[in-house]
Amino acid sequence: MDKAISVRALTVAYGATTALDSVDLGIPKGKITVLAGPNGCGKSTLLRAIRRLHQPKSGDIHLGDVPISGLKEKELARHIGLLAQNPSAPDDMSVEELVRLGRYPHQTMLQPWSAADGEAIQAAMFGTGVSHLADRRLGSLSGGQLQRVWIAMVLAQETDVICLDEPVNHLDMAHQIDCLDLVTRLNREHGRTVVLVLHDLNLAARYADRLVFMKGGGLVAEGEPDTLMSEALIEDVFGISCRVIVDPVHQRPLCIPIRNSTPRFRPEQTA
Amino acid sequence: MSVLSPRLSPALLRLNRRAWIAVGVIAAVALVVAIGGIGFGSTWIDPRRVVEILSGGGARGERVVVLQLRAPRVVIAALAGGAMAVAGYLLQKVTRNELASPGVLGVIGGAGLGVVIFLALLSDESNSLVTSIVWQPVAAMIGACVAISAVFLLSGQQASSAVRLLLFGIAVGAVCKAATLILMIVGPIYRTTQASRWLAGAVNEINWGEVQVVAIGLAIAMVGVFAVARRLPPADLDEVSARGIGLNLPVFRILVFALASALTALAVAFAGGVGFIGLMAPHLARLIVGRPVLPGIVASFLLGAIMLIGADLIVRVLFAPTEVPAGTVTAVIGTPYFLYLVLRRGSTNG
Repeated sequence: MDKAISVRALTVAYGATTALDSVDLGIPKGKITVLAGPNGCGKSTLLRAIRRLHQPKSGDIHLGDVPISGLKEKELARHIGLLAQNPSAPDDMSVEELVRLGRYPHQTMLQPWSAADGEAIQAAMFGTGVSHLADRRLGSLSGGQLQRVWIAMVLAQETDVICLDEPVNHLDMAHQIDCLDLVTRLNREHGRTVVLVLHDLNLAARYADRLVFMKGGGLVAEGEPDTLMSEALIEDVFGISCRVIVDPVHQRPLCIPIRNSTPRFRPEQTA
Repeated sequence: MSVLSPRLSPALLRLNRRAWIAVGVIAAVALVVAIGGIGFGSTWIDPRRVVEILSGGGARGERVVVLQLRAPRVVIAALAGGAMAVAGYLLQKVTRNELASPGVLGVIGGAGLGVVIFLALLSDESNSLVTSIVWQPVAAMIGACVAISAVFLLSGQQASSAVRLLLFGIAVGAVCKAATLILMIVGPIYRTTQASRWLAGAVNEINWGEVQVVAIGLAIAMVGVFAVARRLPPADLDEVSARGIGLNLPVFRILVFALASALTALAVAFAGGVGFIGLMAPHLARLIVGRPVLPGIVASFLLGAIMLIGADLIVRVLFAPTEVPAGTVTAVIGTPYFLYLVLRRGSTNG
């Protein structure tokens, strides 16, 4: 397996609390890898560490053969794109203006703008279906449109690896599917390596080529969703008893939660 | 898609062109205000004669009034007002907060304290400096940098939180003002008169030597401003997204704060603690020219210049022959403006 990114013995701490404890992980090139797990399992931290937003306490991360710790800020941004969890930009910024920012890491003092920049912007807006919105103000867009514009910005960066931190969090069901279909298309048609953090286990199972389960700051299991998604593993990771069936439409595993097997708030017994 | 794309799309090109046209209009207004500023005074000099004198003609008596007394005053007002406005523009941009300004972030208070300490330590009994005036902006700069560093250190991890920055900025500014006041009260009386001028902000009694110092300092600082201007657009985004496209915002912010402190220090050192121009001018500039960065910076500078020349003009017209500091006018106009911004923010996004 050709690896786009390899994480070795990575430990990340926020002050005294350890968020990631000695994690080893390879992100396969040209595939969609989904990081999944319960709240606070460290999946977002891992994604952000891959994009060097966290200084690791120990361990290292390699992009191909190159340690990311040695890359310059813009250099890294030319290789790994990131869609933040709650990205924000001024309401009066235009769509095209935001997408243009994706070209920032490619521009230098001597060459502020090239024809390649223009092409990348056009292609990114076309690929995400926001070309017709180019002149609109961000404040006038719907949530689904806005998310597409942000993806267009990351796409315009023309990175081999794209990291998306819970990209469908605030979207309704139609837009969630829409957004993840778009990400899949970018992966299939352009060969981009995608790393996704997803909350929804069934969305994760449906879109992942490779699924990574995390819990308590460590990796529990990883593999293809079809073989990985067992009832026992899900109970272990998420603390729910469940049934796993095969989704009759997509032939992917589908988890049906039954009950919380480790309830945190038990109603008090009255004598 | 294979067609060579223009540098800017037609829509952005239009926005940019409109912004520069607006800048042109503002520049014309600035010129008119500057000529008016030179014409006004104890004797009224016709604008046509002002232009004539500036281009080398005119009678000897009027030449002295215009070139030695009034022109330096107007030029320093333009440079100082402009510098503070650009500082405000940068601060508002990197904090993504329209309430940020050199005054609110404690930079002016710090610079003022720096100047007063400088005067207290290095003036002699006859009220003149024992060292060169060139060091005065350095003292202001040190004061400004200490103040802004204190604001950042106190804000700590939440330095990106606008509210914390503002609160600590106001607090540090207040401490500086208190210290300044103490220095003036316990110091000999001759220092008080000298110091009070800086604190209120006035541009009278300026000579070409001082103008030169400001102009050279400003020219150097503006090189820095145009160098960071290219990196300003990503600063419109949240910290993580900015990082994602290759701008380390926390580090960049420190650079911009240093630059804004330098600009403010230059202005305050010679024009005194003129408040609110750094708040109002960039805000107005963005209302007029919109989002493009370069026109925004130039428009801020010009509007800041107009405001300080205008404020100085107002105090001269209203209070002559008493020399009232121009800073009183900017404060009278600026305070309600600040309150308006705070209240408007409060009603939209808490």
